[in-house]
Amino acid sequence: MKYTVLCKFALSATSRTEVIEELLRLFNIGERARGLLAGALDVREKVGATIVHSGIALPHCRSILVDKLTVVVGRSETGIPWPEEKVNTVILFVSPVKVNSPQEHNKFLGHIASRIKKSGDSIAAAGSEAEIITLLGFQIEEQGE
Amino acid sequence: MEKQLEKLISLHDLDVMIADLNRKDIRKREADMGLHTEGALEELRELREEYCKSINRKWRGLYNQLTKHYGNAVVPALMGRCSGCLTRLPTAVCSDPERNLKIHTCPTCGRIIYWAD
Repeated sequence: MKYTVLCKFALSATSRTEVIEELLRLFNIGERARGLLAGALDVREKVGATIVHSGIALPHCRSILVDKLTVVVGRSETGIPWPEEKVNTVILFVSPVKVNSPQEHNKFLGHIASRIKKSGDSIAAAGSEAEIITLLGFQIEEQGE
Repeated sequence: MEKQLEKLISLHDLDVMIADLNRKDIRKREADMGLHTEGALEELRELREEYCKSINRKWRGLYNQLTKHYGNAVVPALMGRCSGCLTRLPTAVCSDPERNLKIHTCPTCGRIIYWAD
């Protein structure tokens, strides 16, 4: 599984929609595609908020607008209403739509689930990009597995 | 990007979301993470119905027909080829800077094509 991991601490956005838009700005895609992805993630959140641990949200989807799995980890010191509960860590990821991608998507979900189960509190309290990336078992650089 | 093309891409992503939540393995994984999938699936289906109404009947018909036949109706063009069937797309279309301003279909498989600009 290949993926790209990006990180943004000190998010300036103050709402769920704004955070998703701010994190998607790090994706290497066009403006219109970014808008469509934001729409898809917003739909997913509206039918069920993706809070997976106290203080951690996991907005995610699969889309034909990306060609490889891309993860962006965002952090807000003030917290973001999601909307009923405040979160300070947002792990947003988008998987591509390819032949084996449902399995890859599920495998990646499983990876994040196990990391959050193991160190959810530490992830929510991590003080640096490096720490959070290590706790999530990612490397900032593009990697193959 | 042409509005109807944007809507078809969004419809495709919505269908993928519904298909994923219909998969036992993904549903179980999400439920294990504390995410509510049962109600979400119903709501997504309702949203899809509503969303479809905003799409031109001609394109909606083609989308449904292609989805039924191939499983995916909208695909990106990659290196001048349809990523659904790998047919080389006409050069004139690929090099047109306004290629996403109208809906193009693959001359071989008929899938709806977009360019990731």
